[in-house]
Amino acid sequence: MRIAIVMVAAVLSSAWAQEIKLPPAFDKLAAKAQETVDVTLDSNMLQLAGKFLSDKDADQAKAKQIVAGLKGITVRTFEFAKEGEYSMADMDALREQLKAPAWSRIVGVTSKTENTEIYLKQSEGSRIGGMVIINAEPKELTIVSLSGTISVDDLSALGGQFGIPKVDAPKSKGKEEE
Amino acid sequence: MRARLIALLLAASAAAFGADRQFDRLVSAVEARFGARQTHIPLMGVANFFVKVARPEGAAGFRLAVFEDLKFDADGDGAALDRIMASASEGLHPLVRVRSRRDREWTYIYTGDVGKITKMLIATFGSGEATVMEVQLSMDAMVRALGEPARTGKLFAQ
Repeated sequence: MRIAIVMVAAVLSSAWAQEIKLPPAFDKLAAKAQETVDVTLDSNMLQLAGKFLSDKDADQAKAKQIVAGLKGITVRTFEFAKEGEYSMADMDALREQLKAPAWSRIVGVTSKTENTEIYLKQSEGSRIGGMVIINAEPKELTIVSLSGTISVDDLSALGGQFGIPKVDAPKSKGKEEE
Repeated sequence: MRARLIALLLAASAAAFGADRQFDRLVSAVEARFGARQTHIPLMGVANFFVKVARPEGAAGFRLAVFEDLKFDADGDGAALDRIMASASEGLHPLVRVRSRRDREWTYIYTGDVGKITKMLIATFGSGEATVMEVQLSMDAMVRALGEPARTGKLFAQ
């Protein structure tokens, strides 16, 4: 599920410029990484993608509605040659920006091989104004930022669109899993 | 009537010139910064004609520049390359950037404004060589590329 969420966001995701600043530590990470991939989908590109989703197909129609609310998606992936080339402390400057009251962490999963955190930016009602996903594996680090209005439940509906796998997203702003 | 025709012709020429300016800027910048000259590719005109007629994979035309003997250092020239790309691509939207130390290759993909035919500018820089390509894509093809941007970037990086 965690990987699926990251993939969804990766396929969809320019929130850095508007709300989240990449800390200088990330440049150092890029210098150490074997490969880095940066993906930026601005609102123009997202609207283009939305135009090609059918109103007749229920899944596509739902995805089209969701894409219409998104302003941008940014994904940064770092692949390292060996383990231990980065630490979770490298994320601290980023996490500093994801603090209450504007942001809240809704998912935090820690395992021996993978750590995943999902942060939501509060907006009006049940909608959220942005989402940041940090997925850390021993040799790979992915940070995804979505800006615009989207609900957590919408993540599931995006599965299967744009080559996105089906996703079982958290149903609502719930308790953290640890 | 004649004046109108001339005006239309001028407008079309201006549009065509504007559409290719990023490609030309980038080619000039690569030549200037990395001391490389374009390699002549035989039958390029024929290939482009074929693409315009057959539209393979939704491509409606392309321009290609291949450079050899490029003085590019994947480790040391990255920042300079980022600046060159940012300047040359002004007016386009960044989509993907892949930096691979493993393959010693950098890839950039930019897209033009949304339209029936949308421009995609792709540049790859490796050890000793570089390729700059501008493709005119149908919306279908563009959406396919947008659907899997990271894969598209890696595809061109290979």
